[in-house]
Amino acid sequence: MAEITFDAVTKTFGDNIRAVDELSLHVADGEFMVLVGPSGCGKTTALRMLAGLEDITSGSLSIGGAVVNNVLPKDRDVAMVFQNYALYPHMSVEKNIGFALKIRGDSKSEIKRKVGEAASILHLTDYLDRRPKALSGGQRQRVAMGRAIVRSPQAFLMDEPLSNLDAQLRVEMRLEIARIQRLLGVATVYVTHDQVEAMTMGDRVAVLRGGKLQQVDTPQDLYDHPVNEFVAGFMGSPPMNLIRCHVRPGNDRVEVDFGDQTIELPWHYTSSHELPASGLDVVVGVRPEDVIITDASSPNTIKTRVERREALGAEILVHLSPVDSSPNATPTDQVAAGDIARRASLVAKMGPRVDVAVGDVLMVQLSPEHAHFFHAETGVSLRKR
Amino acid sequence: MTSTLTPPTEASVPVGPTRPPRAGRSKVGRWVLFFAMMVIAVIMLYPFWVMIVTSLKSEAQFLAGQGFSWMSWKGLTATIPIGQEVLSSTIVCSASILIILLVGLPAGFAFSKLHFRTSTAVFLVIVSAMMVPLQAILMPEFVNVTRLGLTGGYWGAILVYAALGTPFSVFLFTTYFRGVPDELIEAGIVDGLSYFGALWRLTVPIAVPAIATVTVLQFIQIWDDLLVGLLFIQNTSERPVTVGLAVLAAGRTTSIPELMAGSIISALPAMLVYLAFQRYLVKGLTMGIDR
Amino acid sequence: MSVIVSNAPRVRRMTLKRRRQVAGFLFALPAIALVIGFIGIPIGQAVYYSFTQWNGLTSTWIGPHTWNQAFHNSNLWTALRNNALLLLAVPFALGLPLGIAVLLHQRVAGWRIFRSIYFLPTAISWVVLGLVAERFFAYQGTLNSIIHALGFSHVNTNMLGYESTALTALGITFVFTMIGTNTMLFLTGLATLDPSLEEAARIDGAGRWRIFRSITLPHLSRFIQLAFVMTVIALFSALFSLIFVMTGGGPGYATTTMEFLIYQTGFNQGDFGTAALYGLILFVLTGIVGVVQLRLIGSNE
Repeated sequence: MAEITFDAVTKTFGDNIRAVDELSLHVADGEFMVLVGPSGCGKTTALRMLAGLEDITSGSLSIGGAVVNNVLPKDRDVAMVFQNYALYPHMSVEKNIGFALKIRGDSKSEIKRKVGEAASILHLTDYLDRRPKALSGGQRQRVAMGRAIVRSPQAFLMDEPLSNLDAQLRVEMRLEIARIQRLLGVATVYVTHDQVEAMTMGDRVAVLRGGKLQQVDTPQDLYDHPVNEFVAGFMGSPPMNLIRCHVRPGNDRVEVDFGDQTIELPWHYTSSHELPASGLDVVVGVRPEDVIITDASSPNTIKTRVERREALGAEILVHLSPVDSSPNATPTDQVAAGDIARRASLVAKMGPRVDVAVGDVLMVQLSPEHAHFFHAETGVSLRKR
Repeated sequence: MTSTLTPPTEASVPVGPTRPPRAGRSKVGRWVLFFAMMVIAVIMLYPFWVMIVTSLKSEAQFLAGQGFSWMSWKGLTATIPIGQEVLSSTIVCSASILIILLVGLPAGFAFSKLHFRTSTAVFLVIVSAMMVPLQAILMPEFVNVTRLGLTGGYWGAILVYAALGTPFSVFLFTTYFRGVPDELIEAGIVDGLSYFGALWRLTVPIAVPAIATVTVLQFIQIWDDLLVGLLFIQNTSERPVTVGLAVLAAGRTTSIPELMAGSIISALPAMLVYLAFQRYLVKGLTMGIDR
Repeated sequence: MSVIVSNAPRVRRMTLKRRRQVAGFLFALPAIALVIGFIGIPIGQAVYYSFTQWNGLTSTWIGPHTWNQAFHNSNLWTALRNNALLLLAVPFALGLPLGIAVLLHQRVAGWRIFRSIYFLPTAISWVVLGLVAERFFAYQGTLNSIIHALGFSHVNTNMLGYESTALTALGITFVFTMIGTNTMLFLTGLATLDPSLEEAARIDGAGRWRIFRSITLPHLSRFIQLAFVMTVIALFSALFSLIFVMTGGGPGYATTTMEFLIYQTGFNQGDFGTAALYGLILFVLTGIVGVVQLRLIGSNE
């Protein structure tokens, strides 16, 4: 067991494609670290460098304090779970799980004991004689896990291990993997593109985009205090509403021009955020659960029309567009910047009993305590650190 | 020896589920079809019939055109050192195939999984060597092997067969290994294997169908070959069975029934191997060619 | 670009990629060595020796003279003519197997047994098949028996004994030996044909011949091309066994093909230089066909 440190690790493919750009990240011993990001963000490359399957272009990578840049995979003592499991098709489950031990030269009785233990943790005891072909997807996944845990390695590396499972099994295995990791207390780096997995499994989550690390934090901090527009939009489902507006800090409040409607947010934002008194174009972020229906008599409301309604059973997602008094005003920036979507409409998450229909005109309030401000050009959070 | 692409084999044919016989064919039509197929079967079985019937005659009976006798079978070993010849064939075949596999497997692994600088070009060069017929380079080859002193025993023939069989085996193994997921090798490497270990303990066991394919095809090719055995094995006492038969036949002095008896013995091993390994050929060949 | 000058005593261990490449090269090396040593180098030598007077022991450079001489040798032209005439067998070596494959594809009762029977001769040496063919065409052979049985008791053939007919007999034998291989190839092709295509055509009102012409044949074209190339290469380089056993190249030079001429020139006449030169000509001929085949393989991938 050991800690893992990425120190300005860079991976360049060809001459100019930077798959991973100056990644610095520390994974504490026993920590469950999730690398998350859209496809092509460099998360898998980072994991493969850690496994020793990919060279490091520059920077240094250490496991347990020792730099491993040029150490062969077999001498790194890490175990990896692959997306397609990569089970050895010609070996039984027992042989698959015990293979690494056999290579290492453990005695037969030792192997048998350890494989037995791993199998019982994973509920695989009845399947030890089967070939991978004769197993279900979930069982194969467990065998892949078994192959990793049996070695009691310095670290577990997992590359989207749940993406080939159906939804229900995925939820089950999510809990299972988290349980086993806590049981064994081995440092784990877990790669996924699924922010739900990231939120539910990780002790900490590292969000990557275009090879660059965006933010590392606990799931809750990541959700509550995203450092930039990308993280804000990536974490959470449905994603945060990101709306381009103009803010004017006033005397005792912050005025936000929302199209031609103006709402006011509490004054304390000026102290916690970099909001110049001269006013600024910003992107305001509000989570769907922080969009609240109220009535016309309340202050600070926005008049909106229901465009679409998605009933999900436990909740309803309502897509709202602001109703403008002047017909040709464009209230929101409709341009999607790269992988960040700034929508023209607001999405509100509502309770299942709320009675709304398409075409209804609703007055909504933005929960005053939970607004996020991002720089309109750079996307960086304006929150003071 | 044909240095072309190998024919896909019998077993590679019906992979999908069998369909019921075609509908809409009249009863008469089906009988005509069946009759045609019987006629073709008779033609294709003709060589076996000739060999068996002729071998069961004495020379006199053969010339007279009738009669039956075990004489040619009893006298066979006196005319043709058939035991020694079959042994020679077996030695040459096994050694050549062993080299072809030992050389082809790591090369296939290298070309499919360990891309090195110029590996694509080298692969193409080796594969195009499939097209070079031995006759085109026969003279230099013969002189080289003779100068190396390899025509005295089996080694000359073994090495020439191995060299001629290697391009195809490299081609087949490379194609086959391309179908093996990279992650499997990587999993093995993270589990602690060296590249050699990954080849030997993961890839080779998975490649059993491809190995069987190469083995069977090369066995038939080498067992049945004449030219290499004729020129590159100088001692008549070490001749493979096909060469022995051909030389006797070309001499036109040996009794035909005995030649036929020898032919049957020479043909049996290749036929048995062919029939026994049909099932493996399905996987191996559809993988190699029929993608 | 900055070059990092190492401060640690770096007799640096190789990068992972470098290690993989070195392993790859070492793994491929035996195959490379074998192919270069036994196929590549001899090709180069053949070019050199084709310009020399060479008996296998000593060689004297005489320049293009050998080429001049060789092309004035009537044996070369005879052999090339024989090869060209044998090309006439190729349509039969493709057409008959195509018909047989279509018959098998109808899947009448017992078709699996028929299939096994049709393919069985493929396992037998062409030496043995040549022996049998010699019996077939012999004066007292099966061919004459059949002719007599058909009522022409006064007709007697001896095809291998006459210059006018020996090559035809060789061609017929060649067609027989290719039937198994090519049938297999075509049957594989037919098995990959989507039956719903045929059904759709039948629903559209196409007759059996129409379906064969418009759907089956186009689908098989890739397999037919491959079979064509394989057949031609076999014709140039695999007839040795048949000729050696059946005719020894005769009568006269009636059945001497390029490959047999090389053998005769080298080993019966001891003229290694000319034989090497003939080898080069054969190399070019098969090379042309080989390029076509490589393109076919290439278009597969």
